[in-house]
Formats: sequence, C-alpha cells, structure tokens
Amino acid sequence: MHNFASLVDLDRGTVSPKLFSADDIYRAEQEKIFAKCWLYVAHASQLPAAHDYLTTFMGEEPVLVTRDGDGRLRVFINSCRHRGMRVCRRDHGNQKLFVCPYHGWSYDSAGKLRGVPQLDNAYHNELKRDEWGLIEVPRVEAFRGLLFANFDAAAAPLIDYLGDMAWYLDVLLNRSRNGTIAMPGCHRWHLGGNWKLAAEQFSGDNYHTDALHRSMAQIGLGPPGGFRGNRPWERDFEVNCGNGHGWINFDAGDVPVPPVQAAHFERIRAEARERLSPAQADLVLTVQVGTVFPNMSVIAFLGFTSVRVWHPRGPKALDAWSYGLIEKDAPPEVVDITRKMMGLTFSPSGIFEQDDGVAWSDIANFQGGVIRREYPFNYQMGRGHGRRMDDKPGLIHPPSTEIGVFGLYEKWHEMMSQ
Amino acid sequence: MSDELRQQFDRLLIDEYWLLDNDQLEDWLALMTDDVRYWGPVREDLERGGEDFHRAHLLTHFDEDRGTMGLRVARLRTGSAHAEEPPSRVRHFVSNVKILETATVDRVRVASNFMVFRSRSGREETFFVGARRDWWVRMDGSWRLAERMIIFDHDIIDNITVFI
Repeated sequence: MHNFASLVDLDRGTVSPKLFSADDIYRAEQEKIFAKCWLYVAHASQLPAAHDYLTTFMGEEPVLVTRDGDGRLRVFINSCRHRGMRVCRRDHGNQKLFVCPYHGWSYDSAGKLRGVPQLDNAYHNELKRDEWGLIEVPRVEAFRGLLFANFDAAAAPLIDYLGDMAWYLDVLLNRSRNGTIAMPGCHRWHLGGNWKLAAEQFSGDNYHTDALHRSMAQIGLGPPGGFRGNRPWERDFEVNCGNGHGWINFDAGDVPVPPVQAAHFERIRAEARERLSPAQADLVLTVQVGTVFPNMSVIAFLGFTSVRVWHPRGPKALDAWSYGLIEKDAPPEVVDITRKMMGLTFSPSGIFEQDDGVAWSDIANFQGGVIRREYPFNYQMGRGHGRRMDDKPGLIHPPSTEIGVFGLYEKWHEMMSQ
Repeated sequence: MSDELRQQFDRLLIDEYWLLDNDQLEDWLALMTDDVRYWGPVREDLERGGEDFHRAHLLTHFDEDRGTMGLRVARLRTGSAHAEEPPSRVRHFVSNVKILETATVDRVRVASNFMVFRSRSGREETFFVGARRDWWVRMDGSWRLAERMIIFDHDIIDNITVFI
C-alpha cells in the first residue's frame, strides 16, 4: 500500500507518475474521491417531465437518474437488489417502471421495489419489499441546470463545494435570461490515459496549446489573438479556484462568424450585462475551459459549451462523455452552426481533441515502468506567482501557468490523506 | 434498378478506398461536390426503432462541408497533427453495396458497409465498423459524392482520426 500523501509533494510542486499508472492508487481513488465528491450526472433539461430518466456513471457505478412522479430528481445505483443486473440498459427515455431483465424484479421511478415474481409461492410473502428498493445516492443538488450527486450523505452543500468556481461557471451558465439546454445525444469515446490527465489539462493547462495544437495555427485556425491572448489579468488568465477546481479564460480575438450567430452573441452579451458583474460580463463569449474536481470539465468556444465527464476506467483508461449546451432560445440555425463547430473542434473527431487524446494515451501506455515512475513529474510552473484580485475570485495568473493544474493535485492530496 | 449500376458503384467505392488507403487525400476530396455534406450522427441505446439520425440538433461526431473537409486534410499535411504522426496504419474495406434509390439517372442513393482498421503505437489496434448512406451525382460524366451519412456501429467509439 502506498503512502498516498507522499506521492504529491506540495512544497516542491511535483507529482509521482504512479498516480497515472498504479492500480492500487486507482482503487483507493474510487473510495476516497469518487465516493466522497460531488459528481456531475446530468443537465436538468434532459429530464423535463415526470418519469423521464437517463443512465450514466458516477465513477465506476452505473447510475439511473430519474424525475419521479412528484417531479423530484433522484439518482439510484442502476443495479437490481436481487443479483445486480442493471435494471435499465437504455440511455434515456420515459417510463414509470424499470423491470430487471434477469428475474423480473421491478422498481418505480422513485426507486421503490414494486413487483417481485412469485412473491407468494417462492418468497412465502416474507420479503420486505420496502427494504429492497434501489440504492439511492443520498445527495442530489443542482447549479444552473447542472445536476450533481454525491454518495456521501454528510458532504457539504454543492454550492460550498464549488466555492469560487461558481463565479466562473456563472459567466457561462448565467449569462442569458432563459438559460441553457443540452442538445440531444452525447459524444462518447474511449481513450487510453488516466482520468486525471484529462481533468488537469482542462483545469489549467493552456501551456500545451502551442505545441500539441500547432497544426491548428499552421492551417490558419489558431485564434486571431493567439492561444494566450493579449489582455493578461483582464481576459487572459488562469485560476486556481481552490477545492481542486481550475479555470482558463482567454480572449481568442475576433473570430468571424455568420451574421445570425453574431446577432445571437450580441443578444447574449446584452443580457449578460444585466445579469452579471462587470468583470464577469466582460468575459462572456471569450474562450473558457475548466474542471470541477474531480472529473467534470467544461470547454466553451464560439457559442457551444461542452460539458464532459472523464469516467475512470482503470488506471490507464477513461471514457469521455460530452454533452453540448446552448442557450434555450438560440435560433435553430445557430444551434446547428454550434453543433457542427463542436464536432469539428472538440469531439471524438475534433481537430483539437484528437491530439489531446493521443498525448494522454501515450503517457498511460508507456510511462508505468519501475524506473521512470520513481522520477516525479514537474508541476512547478508559476508557483508562488498567483495573485488575488479585487474583481474576480481565486488565485490568478496569466497564461501560461500551472497553478490551476496543480490545484487539482492539492485537492487530490487532501482527499487521499483522509 | 439495374445490376449494372450496382456493379458500377461496387467498383467506384473500392476505387475510392484505394485513395484513402494510399494517403491520396486530395484526390479523395476531389470526388466530392462543392456542396457536399459528410456527417456521422452519434448513436444511442434506445428502445427498438427509437433512434432517429435526423432528429433536430442531434450531436454529430462530425458534420462537414467542403471547406471543413479541406481543413481536416490540410491539418494532416502539416506534419504536426500529432494524432496521425507518425501516421497510423489504416486499411479500408467496403462491402454490401446496394442501390437504394435512383432519383434521376444522374442522382443515386447508395448504401454500403465499411470496416476500417487502424493500428498505431505498437499495440493500439482499432476497428471502425458501420454503414454508409451516400448520395452520388453524375457531373460531366463522372460520379461525385454529394452526401455521406456514416452510421457507426459503436456506442463508445475510439477517437476518430481517419476518414470513412
């Protein structure tokens, strides 16, 4: 058993490669992190009506998210209490009853065990059905339509957990009067690589863009303002939000868009000025990237907001699930332009995303050796240079810096030391 | 629907995959019309018959026009599209060609199945498998691709660095 705390050196700013390859660390993370933290499960717009449901994962646990008959959002482990088969094997839909295919136990959308075949002759009517409902995830809370759940009944409220991150999420999710909805469907793809490599990049690694995404600049698709922007501290900065959350903001400059989209952007900016602080409103529709610890990230670019979860699948593998959010009242043409842009840039075929995936899988596939793993990775960039500012929260520094990236490991250290 | 037309597309689709197998991407792009749509909707596990690839705003792995297809090819030519450097080994197979519809003698809807194998980094081997629904149009005596819908038979897919 590792002494987990020693693997992240808080004073020196280093992280052991074992965090990205060792099975015992991965197993411990499931108990110490995924069973304790707020995990993203759905967007409320995906379950508008009573008995709507969708299935997803919290860490390795398959979960069923429902809106019960009373309109309450509930989350259950998607597993029959009898032998454990998933009671729902579809992605989403609307149904009042979930019947386990194996022996036919059935549960309602509030998780209650309803039907048990042969209750009389086989169980002699002795089965206490009220004790054998679906295992419910005890805490479910929402922030601006983002639905999170927590296996830890004693966890602090979501809003406290998000802390300073909420201010930045508001730039994205509270910028418009009528809020956001999720487009139908989900990008789901499998990658080699530890879940933390994806989460840390979105929490504050702007540094990689010039090298890994060099091809984009070569074909003239680099941001006109560059990947680091020209307005440091104001619009171009990275944030260690505390509690493991990190944020990147940069102004990509004037990217030409079709008139219908330009009009949509103008309307959002006007609404944002009424709803947000001046410092927040000034950031609206610049590029935003962030991670909510542990494994939910966002990337917002040219009007789309991809909300993605990096589902852990062993120390060296992850499944990325990405949903596309857009303003509820966006014109249909704008939704289509946005959907296409998300596919082109950040998706399984995305011309940015492809290269990110290859970096993470290469690290996972080739860096677990007994010699290499004794030499830590360097996360020292920008340490001690972050500043507190009056108009926005968190510890801030213009790109490039790794204060946001290392923030994820500060939280990891805290959780794994408990 | 004549068998002759089916055989013609059987050959044409094999010739098309020769271009992709041999990294002749610019020649492959030249097969497309100026207003081509090349797209691949995401798949979902729903009740039988519940998937609708034409549902409004359904996410797509890609939904490209001639311009963005050109950008994808140009990116692969930069030498720093790291997902394909060094280039993966890719082999394309096409089968089960069927003429679905002949709108006019010069506009034909063609179905086919594909299997694309990719290997890279030693042990990493991936299959992309699925079906295609194409519209081909005859312009100046030769067939050009006007639309291709790619139906991947994957729930959770690998990252898509290849053309289908």
